[in-house]
Amino acid sequence: MENVKLEPSSKLRHLNKLRWLTLTTVFFMLILLPFIYLYQTYEAAHAYDLLTPTEKTISDSMESLTSPFVKDPEELDAIKGTTWSGTLFGLKLSDPLAVVGQVFASLSLYWPFILTAFIPLFATLLLGRFYCGWICPATLIYELNDNLAVWLRKAGLPVSRRKLDRRIKYVVLAVGLILSIYLGAALFASIYPPAIIGREIYYAIALGGFGAGAVFFLLTLLFDLMVSRRGFCRYVCPGGALYSLLGRYRLFRIKRNVTKCNDCAKCNVACQFGLDPLQDDFGMECNNCTACIASCPTDALGFTINMRDSAYQGPGHLGHQYKKEQEGS
Amino acid sequence: MKRRGFMKSLTMGAGILSFGLLPFLMGRLIHPDIKAHESNRIPLPGALKSADDFARACIGCGLCGEVCPPRCIQFHKHDGGFLADTPYIDPVQKSCILCGLCMEVCPTNALTVTPIREVSMGTAQIDRVACYPWVDAGICGACVSICPLGEKAIDFEFGNFYRPVVKEGCVGCGQCVEVCPEPSLPINIVPLARGRVAQHGIGVRKVERGQRGF
Repeated sequence: MENVKLEPSSKLRHLNKLRWLTLTTVFFMLILLPFIYLYQTYEAAHAYDLLTPTEKTISDSMESLTSPFVKDPEELDAIKGTTWSGTLFGLKLSDPLAVVGQVFASLSLYWPFILTAFIPLFATLLLGRFYCGWICPATLIYELNDNLAVWLRKAGLPVSRRKLDRRIKYVVLAVGLILSIYLGAALFASIYPPAIIGREIYYAIALGGFGAGAVFFLLTLLFDLMVSRRGFCRYVCPGGALYSLLGRYRLFRIKRNVTKCNDCAKCNVACQFGLDPLQDDFGMECNNCTACIASCPTDALGFTINMRDSAYQGPGHLGHQYKKEQEGS
Repeated sequence: MKRRGFMKSLTMGAGILSFGLLPFLMGRLIHPDIKAHESNRIPLPGALKSADDFARACIGCGLCGEVCPPRCIQFHKHDGGFLADTPYIDPVQKSCILCGLCMEVCPTNALTVTPIREVSMGTAQIDRVACYPWVDAGICGACVSICPLGEKAIDFEFGNFYRPVVKEGCVGCGQCVEVCPEPSLPINIVPLARGRVAQHGIGVRKVERGQRGF
């Protein structure tokens, strides 16, 4: 094994682990917050002795979790809400899709609410669909669901990976906005997976029993398994459509370094959105999830600051095709 | 051939449009417009005046429920229709204490910060054929002593001890409903449009029964 040359690998490949950490943190915060809500209820009632054993366990565990940070349970109100809309130490943050949907449903501009979406909006203008890859609580489940699809395929069950038209999700966004005007309700809240997940976890833990959205979310998981890989995010999700539009001229992009590429196409397999890093085709859909960077064996993929993707740079210089072309010319 | 191309693009457009409608239709199927059961469902303090406007402004984030200290805020679920995931208060189970935290935390204009005496969640109505002191079946006064707004909202009738009367200052928080010991709940909250203080009296509940609170 002496001829194997161990190169110092790029630090960028660890970004994918960081992304998984972010996704799981957001997801577990969504689970933790309803329990904190219950703990606050028990504390406010001053009725520890009347609790059932399960409730006592919840109260004790939440007290041991939070007591190093805050003294008064009332101060736990600092972090509340979901990714749809929430408060973070007094800073109100909302999903841009919530703002767009609410403006169209109520046909009026309420600036205190619109301003809450400005930080996510600017981040999306700079980083593209980063919300989909790095924060969205549904993404965690969809990616695990995609891993399940791999196992199902290995077990011999048919798992379809059909390609549909990417523009369908823009139609969904437009139809949703028009329906919001006519029907007078923020309809996106009932079909947008991260909003559904945040709400359903809260209902299930704090209020008891799932709401209506859980059924819809299970149907989207089936859609991903039986129709298309990550199909809901790629073809249906109205939030994804909005972020794709906003992130069209994003500054931070993934770029292939053609001198290091060896045409192994692992990036194309790793990309759950069915993009084509090997042909330098990222486009609006790329959510900067860095899965392709982590999968690249030669560290040919990295970030660049540019308004546009580069045109196709030709086959990678370490691959067979490039060598044949060089010998031929 | 041109006509055929036109027809083809027309069918394609209709197909894509129907695919775009599909998720909303499925969302709608999951939220059917079943009539809510006959409990007192009253709006939140500081909510927009009409239920339609409220449904338009609310994004269903659930923050109001997460900060509510008495945990009285509940959410419309399957039976909500277009009001699905929007909040309501059922004073029979748990009533509002008018602390105003939900108005502060709401990101949209669905709930606006309102001084507590100007909140209009509804108004209380007393059925005088069921209330203990009104039928001389005992002395009570629980509703009067719990009321956070004092004698401007509910008070004993002049010269008739322990017979409660709702006044103009009532904002409909529902604490009197929660505390009322009579099992058939002779006091309940009705929307302001239907309830007038002058209308209170014998048999008001017969009109109200069977109608949707909110």
